[in-house]
Amino acid sequence: MTEYALVVEGLTKSFGGKPAVREVSFKAAKGEITGFLGPNGAGKTTTLRMSLGVIGPDRGRAELFGRAPDAAGMDRVGFLPEERGVYRKMTAEAVIVFFARLKGVPAGEARRRARDYLERFGLADAAKKKIKELSKGMAQKVQIIAAIVHEPEFIILDEPFSGLDPVNQALLEQMIREQAEAGRTVLFSTHVMEHAERLCDRIILMARGQKVFDGTVNEALAQVPRQVLLAAPPGEPVEDVLSGFGELVNEGEDEDGAEINWRLTLNAGIESQAVLRACVEAGLKLTHFEPRRPHLHDAFVALVGEEGARELEASAEDN
Amino acid sequence: MRAIYLIARREYLSYVATWGFWLGLLSVPVFATLGASIPGWIESSQPTRYFAVIDETGMGLEQVIRDRRVEARREAVRDQVETLTRFIGEEAERQAALDAFDANPNTSQAASDAFEAVGFPGLGENLDLEGRDAVMVGAPGADLNDLRPYISGDATIETSEGPRALYAAFAFRPSDTHPLEVVYLSENVTNRDLRNEIVRIVREHLRDQALLERGLTAAEVDTLLGLRLDVTSLLASPDADADTEVTTLDRAPFIVAIILGFILWLAIFSVANMLLTSMIEEKGGKIIEVLLSTARFHEILIGKLGGVAAMSLTLFAIWGVVGGVLTALGGAALSTVNPDLVGVLGVVFDPVLLGAALIFFIAGYLMYGAIFLAMGSLCDTLQDAQTLMSPVIWTLMLPLLFLFFSLEASDSTVVRIASWVPVWTPFVMMARLPADPPLWEVLGAGALMVFTTVLVLWAAAAVFRQGALRQADADTVRRWFKLGGKKG
Repeated sequence: MTEYALVVEGLTKSFGGKPAVREVSFKAAKGEITGFLGPNGAGKTTTLRMSLGVIGPDRGRAELFGRAPDAAGMDRVGFLPEERGVYRKMTAEAVIVFFARLKGVPAGEARRRARDYLERFGLADAAKKKIKELSKGMAQKVQIIAAIVHEPEFIILDEPFSGLDPVNQALLEQMIREQAEAGRTVLFSTHVMEHAERLCDRIILMARGQKVFDGTVNEALAQVPRQVLLAAPPGEPVEDVLSGFGELVNEGEDEDGAEINWRLTLNAGIESQAVLRACVEAGLKLTHFEPRRPHLHDAFVALVGEEGARELEASAEDN
Repeated sequence: MRAIYLIARREYLSYVATWGFWLGLLSVPVFATLGASIPGWIESSQPTRYFAVIDETGMGLEQVIRDRRVEARREAVRDQVETLTRFIGEEAERQAALDAFDANPNTSQAASDAFEAVGFPGLGENLDLEGRDAVMVGAPGADLNDLRPYISGDATIETSEGPRALYAAFAFRPSDTHPLEVVYLSENVTNRDLRNEIVRIVREHLRDQALLERGLTAAEVDTLLGLRLDVTSLLASPDADADTEVTTLDRAPFIVAIILGFILWLAIFSVANMLLTSMIEEKGGKIIEVLLSTARFHEILIGKLGGVAAMSLTLFAIWGVVGGVLTALGGAALSTVNPDLVGVLGVVFDPVLLGAALIFFIAGYLMYGAIFLAMGSLCDTLQDAQTLMSPVIWTLMLPLLFLFFSLEASDSTVVRIASWVPVWTPFVMMARLPADPPLWEVLGAGALMVFTTVLVLWAAAAVFRQGALRQADADTVRRWFKLGGKKG
């Protein structure tokens, strides 16, 4: 028995001579939530499609539950693709039953689960309504239910948060946590780092078709230099006291000119407490001292540079 | 198999479990009846056309026209009597009916006599005895100018229907260069039926007069003009004595096969269009990729083809049952009137022709259905599809021409070659079948058609794979064929 639901090694794919994915390798450990992060066009969807055998790679291989993706393996997977929709003329319950049956759930059990999930997702009243009568958010929830109704061991969600309002995004986060707590493996792609930061045990960062990072969230955050934001009245010898701790940047005076804002990027191994201690010992009249907690976005910027960060921001605007 | 079955089932129910399907099913006989009735309605709803004749020649043409029209009407009624008596019995009965008709100079009474003579006194009631589409009235003026207000509607004539305007007026005048000068005056410039009828009557009268003036008797003129050749069509056989006379029954299979060819064409075109529309809807609704997470490309393709095929077969089955019941009932009724007519129904429901039609439908449907599905997978909108459809539509239209050809010459080289073109085989070979083409041709063209169907399915699956995942679209195809001109 493999300990990984998915293993991909050296996956490479080009379309019309343009490389879409280059030498991507990673593993999704059973029972973990893995985030697959990167801007639009980073190669996330193509990698997921190759992982499931929907398209074949030019090079490399994917293993689903320890063997090449096949129909039996797919039945153990719940996949929510990025390009998704449901039959608008079918009722919410009929859609869920249809996809459950495609995954091998018997008709009676499929109906029972459909009603159960619709109730859990607050859609009990919409069971007999046609999809075209539902709001976009409700329809998206039906799609998510259709992807997990057969209670798969491995859930793959491609950009599951896109198109959802904040309330439904929180609901989806809750659902992902519940699935993981129930022992299921979850892999989801997103370009919104906050979701991954809150949910993931492990993240894979993609940029321009290549993997740029693979590790835990903490390991990713460790890639980012720590920063301290400070403010002090003009004339205080801030540079004299702190320049030895790292790169100190004057970010200008505040509106009334009563204080100057500083950003100190700490050298490796320096803790913010040491900076505070030095300030106190030097008698600096600080008006503001804020050790800044790094985020995955910062880690991404640190790993791929400013151009990658701009692509990420453009993706956020597109969605 | 599970995915294929479920996708086919969903596709099938999406059509069959709708009111539209059943309304569509019912609308066929309704529209067929309407279509068949419309010419009659147009004819019967047309107002009576009153016309007047001014004869300035002194040849008594007004009376000639009146008499000849009565005579022509009597001939028309006699033809109707003859046609109806064909359904009643053999030659002896027909002759008895016609003799009874000829014995009575009053046309309407003669028709009743004719049917009474063969034991169907009520049958003549539906005959058009009067022919009231155009009625000649006395001219309300001495010359054409006097009649103008009556034609424009400023003045009216008294008729049995009340005051009416004149539809047209004829003036016959002497001419220096021709036997007569005819002036036709009407506000209707498109319908020339009445003008042609009256001119023909007068021309025939002048011809008869010319023959009489050359010394022929009236009986000789009648004999001369009534010359008829005795034509017998025989179905050739190696043994001269075994030749049999060609009857309507012999021609029926050719006509039935061509009609089946048209029905096949219509059915395949309609059903393939349904697949195209459904595919575009699914592509636009982003359902395909969701399906791909649960089923493979070939399962989706086969499932969709299977579902729509099942819907079509349901349609055919319903019509088959309805047709079968009507045939059984109609056959029983007809056999009491004329057992020979049951033979016509046997040709219409010939199991060999119907079996061939089913095979050709399946092959044609798979070929064109797969092509339309593949096209649909490349398009997000019907507008996208229209540019790709043109070559396929032209390919589909051409066999219609061959079907028309085959009606007159099912053994022509062009039709034979067309029946070998795999994408046309289902329609053209269908039309050729009653002519008993060589078995090797039927099997050869059939094998080529099956091979092409497999090839098309394989190619369609490959295109479908690209289109469904948005790795190719209509622009890709246009660029590939260098038709679009624009690089997208």
